[in-house]
Amino acid sequence: MFVPHSELDLKKMFDELSINSLDDLFTHIPDALLLENGLDLPESLSELESIDYFDDIASRNKSDLVCFAGGGHYDVYLPQTVKSLTMRPEFMTSYTPYQAEISQGILQVLFEFQSLVCDLTDMELANASLYDGATSIAEAISVAINKTKRDGVIISSGLNPNSKEVVNTLIDGNKFNLNYVELDNYLFPADYEFDELQAAFVVSYPHYEGSCQDLTELVTKAKEKGIVTICYVDPSMLGVLTTPGQMGFDIIVAEGQSLGSPLSFGGPTVGWFATKKEFARLVPGRLIGESRDKDGNKSYVMTLRAREQDIRREKASSNICTNQTLNAIGSAIHLSWLGPEGLYDMGYHSIQKANYMKKSLIKNGYVIPNDDSSLREFLLEVKTDASEVINKMGDKGFLAGIYYDDKHVLVAVTEKRKKTEIDDYILALQEVDNG
Amino acid sequence: MVSGGNASSLPLVGGKPEPTIKELSSPGRRASNFPKLDVPEVKINHESLKKEKARLPEVSEHDLVMHYSRLAHRNFAVDLGFYPLGSCTMKYNPRFADSIASDSRFANMHPSMPEEFTQGCLKVMYEIGNYLCEITGMDYASFQPPAGASGELTGLLIIKKYLEINNLQNKTEIIVPDSAHGTNPASARMAGFTVVEVETDDRGMVNIDKLKEIVNDNTAGLMLTNPNTGGLFEEEILTISQIIHNAGGLLYYDGANLNAIVGTSRPGDMGFDIVHSNLHKTFATPHGGGGPGSGPVAVKEFLKEYLPGPIVENKDRKYNWYKPKNSIGRMHGYHGNFLVTLRALVYMKLLGKEGLDNLGAYAVLNARYLSSKVSKIIPLAYDEPCMHEFVTSVKDLKKSHKIKAYDVGKALLDKGFHSPTIYFPLIVPEALMFEPTETQSKETLDDLAESLKLIIADLQQEDIVLEDYPKNLPVGRPNELIPAKFLTVNWGDFELLEITE
Repeated sequence: MFVPHSELDLKKMFDELSINSLDDLFTHIPDALLLENGLDLPESLSELESIDYFDDIASRNKSDLVCFAGGGHYDVYLPQTVKSLTMRPEFMTSYTPYQAEISQGILQVLFEFQSLVCDLTDMELANASLYDGATSIAEAISVAINKTKRDGVIISSGLNPNSKEVVNTLIDGNKFNLNYVELDNYLFPADYEFDELQAAFVVSYPHYEGSCQDLTELVTKAKEKGIVTICYVDPSMLGVLTTPGQMGFDIIVAEGQSLGSPLSFGGPTVGWFATKKEFARLVPGRLIGESRDKDGNKSYVMTLRAREQDIRREKASSNICTNQTLNAIGSAIHLSWLGPEGLYDMGYHSIQKANYMKKSLIKNGYVIPNDDSSLREFLLEVKTDASEVINKMGDKGFLAGIYYDDKHVLVAVTEKRKKTEIDDYILALQEVDNG
Repeated sequence: MVSGGNASSLPLVGGKPEPTIKELSSPGRRASNFPKLDVPEVKINHESLKKEKARLPEVSEHDLVMHYSRLAHRNFAVDLGFYPLGSCTMKYNPRFADSIASDSRFANMHPSMPEEFTQGCLKVMYEIGNYLCEITGMDYASFQPPAGASGELTGLLIIKKYLEINNLQNKTEIIVPDSAHGTNPASARMAGFTVVEVETDDRGMVNIDKLKEIVNDNTAGLMLTNPNTGGLFEEEILTISQIIHNAGGLLYYDGANLNAIVGTSRPGDMGFDIVHSNLHKTFATPHGGGGPGSGPVAVKEFLKEYLPGPIVENKDRKYNWYKPKNSIGRMHGYHGNFLVTLRALVYMKLLGKEGLDNLGAYAVLNARYLSSKVSKIIPLAYDEPCMHEFVTSVKDLKKSHKIKAYDVGKALLDKGFHSPTIYFPLIVPEALMFEPTETQSKETLDDLAESLKLIIADLQQEDIVLEDYPKNLPVGRPNELIPAKFLTVNWGDFELLEITE
């Protein structure tokens, strides 16, 4: 399928090559390595048959639940303009923009993406995307290690647990000390003392549990010890939150799903990476720069290529090659669609709605251990067992949140949730969580 | 000549540059709209809340749509024309997969759900695992790696963990051919190995004598693609795998060139222990301008417990997550690039046995045919039957007329084609590498060869300036020194430069 050749084409091509069959193409391959009867796979399906096939698979997902889960991936409203424009074949089916003259479209959107990320976070230089939030944290830690030549890392425990696993995979624990610091009442201890053995200080903003704090003083203290400060930020809350740049961070990384990508069962989404210009030559991944052609026309081109694997090989700043360009394009378009007012509404509505939900839960006898410090996302203490509550809430039509521990569910309220959905959630919860 | 892959009629709107979205911004405009707040509004005091609004452009929805649509017009794509791009497998991406991947029952699934809620997603991963293992001759697969380079790193971390568990920490050397893709040595270094290069012989294949000299007790493994980066089948692959295995090392297959052998031959049968595949190459998922990709890793049975986890199992007709016992850990925050994986399964279902059995053969036919035509214009780097791609060299033209591979690539853009891959593999001087894929027609291949012939003749004329090519596009060659020197990577940077200069 998708092979264009007619019998006549094949004959002409065979004649050019002086062969009689496709098998004649492989006479130089040892017989022992040739598959005699081909692959043991099912017959092909037509498009029409495939519709039924995938409809059956899709129907096995509980896909109609009202979503109160977050943890980095949020059920925010994704406007049709983002969906339509990112589906444009010129974006979707193009290759990496190495040939600048026929890739000005992708190059300019990526340049705009980089600039939008910088403006939103108050940083100076953003790359053209990494795989996801989790891998971006590991890349940032590598930059800090390369910059400082130190071998310790201070990591806040209030980080997405899967992200911690990725960091543990990608940063070699035999060579580097990964020191996880427990939160104190859901906040990073303000009196934490840093030392000069540490390369990086990594902290989530807000914390995984949803609590949020001003990190300015911690950042200042860490920087006094020569530590590279890394903020893992929830970018869709930056319409209302103080920016990481304002707090003085050296590097920001983010899971960019909530700006431009559907939930997608976790992927493809996009990792953001932005920093100060002094780190430019250590940055992983691609960077787009603005330039001019010989006639003075504005033109964009991939730059600082000497950091990359295809040139530096084993000395490269990272092994990344394919990134998440299309999702970065989605981020740029979504941010442009939102504008300052839209991003504000998105954040403001979600914290108002989360606040309403927390107060209603408390009124109905529930405990929210981090009520004071949380904004859009918070822990709900359940009376029975958390995973059972999530399963039973599924039968009531809700994705109640994410399992945190046996007594707690992590609940997120986006701007998309309606008051009626919140009220119904609490009614359903009272039915299924009967301690 | 008329051909489907020639894009020279493209209405690329030349002339004026497209402003940035920031330049289109005007205070007070907005595209977004949200429902009115339906909960009682209260004053929320929190130390992290700011007073000012974010710095973002203010544009109308129509301005926004026009801007990004015009930018789309300024870009080449598989849907517009032919990419003879070696090592990249830029084949047709079936439109049908778009509709399945956009189905909200897949696209709107939150990644942190109990497995009972996500049986459909798990079935997708289980099914494609079976396809991939059959195609590559392996036993178990993980779909966590979101791209090829991540798949490579996964494979190397598996080797490392395997050696660690078996008390073979002395094995620290990974052998990589000097023709390998740059991600190979970069990934090996990231995994903490020392990289040892093995030379390529005159025929373009791994030099077996040199390999024997390099292999020793410290050899951890070999990274290889077959066909190799020269587009040639490593005919001595069984000997190579014996040499590595006898030294206690493992064989890693870089799936960059898997398209050449699908249905014909399998890495597992060649002796490879670990395989990564690029679903965005071999299995026709769109490149997205540089990503997202998907780089699943498949292994032989004895390495199952080292895979990045969790992986999907099927027990009692229910799918569940299984965490391998000695797992290297997670390579991705969740389940890899799931929607890309889904698209690849759609492609495999559409092709089925019939399509997949002949996939490699048609890819090789097109490359062999194109190489026959192109070799009459530029000499091949190796006088051997090519697989799905082939390498040529213009080193003689460089000597005689100062024409570099770069110039040929740029001139080809004017003719409606993407450039072939240039300067790769690094061991061939002034290399141009062509990979037509199986989805291009004979006319398109003929047209490319004909265009190449014309530009080679053009470029040899006395009165031309090589740097002027391409001439028909919205911009000429950008000055690459300016952004590298002045870091003009953010809007405003360049204008600032003009003021200070």
